[in-house]
Amino acid sequence: MENTLLELRGVTKRFGEATALAETSLSIHEGSFVAIVGPSGCGKSTLFNVIAGLLAPDGGEVRLQGEPVTGATGHVGYMLQKDLLVPWRTVEDNITMAARLTRRVNNVDRAEARRVATEYGLGDFLRHYPRALSGGMRQRVAFMRTLVTHQPLLLLDEPFGALDAQTRLDMQQWLLQVWRDTGRTVLFITHDVDESLFLSDRVLVMSPRPGRVVADITNPLARPRDMETLTDPAFIELKSRIMHLLHGGAS
Amino acid sequence: MTRKLLRNIGVPVLSLLLLLALWQAIVVGFNVAPYVAPRPWQAILSVTQNWSTIWPLALGTIRETVYGFLIGAFLGVFLGVVMAKIPVLQRSVYPVLVLSQAVPIIALASPLVLILGFSIMPKIVIVAWIVFFPVTVNVVDGLSHVDPDLINLARVYGAPRWRTFVHIEMPATTTPLFSGLKIGATYAVTGAVIGELAASEGSSLALYQEHANSNLNAAAVYGTTMVMTAIGISWFLLVVATEVAATPWQRRSVARRYPWRRARFETDGAASIVSSLSKGES
Repeated sequence: MENTLLELRGVTKRFGEATALAETSLSIHEGSFVAIVGPSGCGKSTLFNVIAGLLAPDGGEVRLQGEPVTGATGHVGYMLQKDLLVPWRTVEDNITMAARLTRRVNNVDRAEARRVATEYGLGDFLRHYPRALSGGMRQRVAFMRTLVTHQPLLLLDEPFGALDAQTRLDMQQWLLQVWRDTGRTVLFITHDVDESLFLSDRVLVMSPRPGRVVADITNPLARPRDMETLTDPAFIELKSRIMHLLHGGAS
Repeated sequence: MTRKLLRNIGVPVLSLLLLLALWQAIVVGFNVAPYVAPRPWQAILSVTQNWSTIWPLALGTIRETVYGFLIGAFLGVFLGVVMAKIPVLQRSVYPVLVLSQAVPIIALASPLVLILGFSIMPKIVIVAWIVFFPVTVNVVDGLSHVDPDLINLARVYGAPRWRTFVHIEMPATTTPLFSGLKIGATYAVTGAVIGELAASEGSSLALYQEHANSNLNAAAVYGTTMVMTAIGISWFLLVVATEVAATPWQRRSVARRYPWRRARFETDGAASIVSSLSKGES
């Protein structure tokens, strides 16, 4: 449990004059669920893109399982608010997309896609095209596509940001279930404080200009979490603390 | 199903019949002389009565149209891909391509016949010349509008560029590609006819029409035009049918089950035991 999976050492990123990410160091334990909250422009997505290897940092180092992976790709699962399902592939073929993009899709990949989809409630939709699915279902497919990459670290960038409140709550509970079942490590970006507390073991609060981590808060709320968690006094207290950090004590 | 079929086929046929009725009404109503403009049935009759002469000529026009179209389409896709992938080429080649289309095609036809002779070649070149352009323009546009997040996702997976191209970029360009092909398909027969006219020797549908024209045989002139139009429409419909077959996801909610895929489904029961989803396993 206490093994460090991901480590950032003094990572910085500038875009021209603007510092998108000031020197950032952090380490993420294997199997943990870490939420990152912050307003737009605080460098959350920049941080993700550096970890994923889409952006090379201007300074510092990214290590995954002790290996340096700075600026390299192919070592994380990655999911955005947009589901990025391709309309010309069925649900099954969308789930196996990572395999198709890196090697040949084989029967093991297909069997796994079917197994995961069946296990998490989309078994009847394997042969459907994405256009036939609701927003929540599409996000679930996108998550399954991320899951079957077998990467130990999943980067989720506001994955439920475009969903309505009810669907979002369902998806959050569903995500916790999958996370419990598979033991992956999750880094989860959101600007919704409730969501960050509901899901995580630990909340990193970020602030803009320059983008940086201003607080690292352990989330002690008991699991499993449900609707009751949202009205727990400990939840309210943590929420107000994070709100103060985000809005400079103005609220 | 029958309702849909009725709407998709019945309505276009009906509007075609209305068009013929309008033609009939104008010619009769204004009492147009038969050597100026024939009645629709006279034009049709002139085709059916001379079918044994017209069909081999039409076959020649079809051949020119199809060969020219296929060459133009492949060239168009190739140029589109190359230009979208190599910005320097896009900047240097694009103006030349625009220039090629600004030159009046009729002015090009005669020199082409001089260079390539009276064979099928100049006609094919003219058709390809007309067809490639809309295809290239649409492919370039399509490829440069693929969602960058989708390409980034492929990068995060560690996908090599050629796989990203095959599995993401090209399929994402299907719709604009077919738009270009459909535009090309409607113009293709025009190119073939221009080529036939420029050759002014041998036997062809265009020269058959020229001959009828100089004989004041308006029925044959209109009849030949109908044959040419029918070739154009048929080719367009064939391209549309190809698009429908190639893009099932645009109309269907569920993928068709193919026999060979079902076979595959049955064979991987054993494979599923092998796979598991534990953490960090690769």
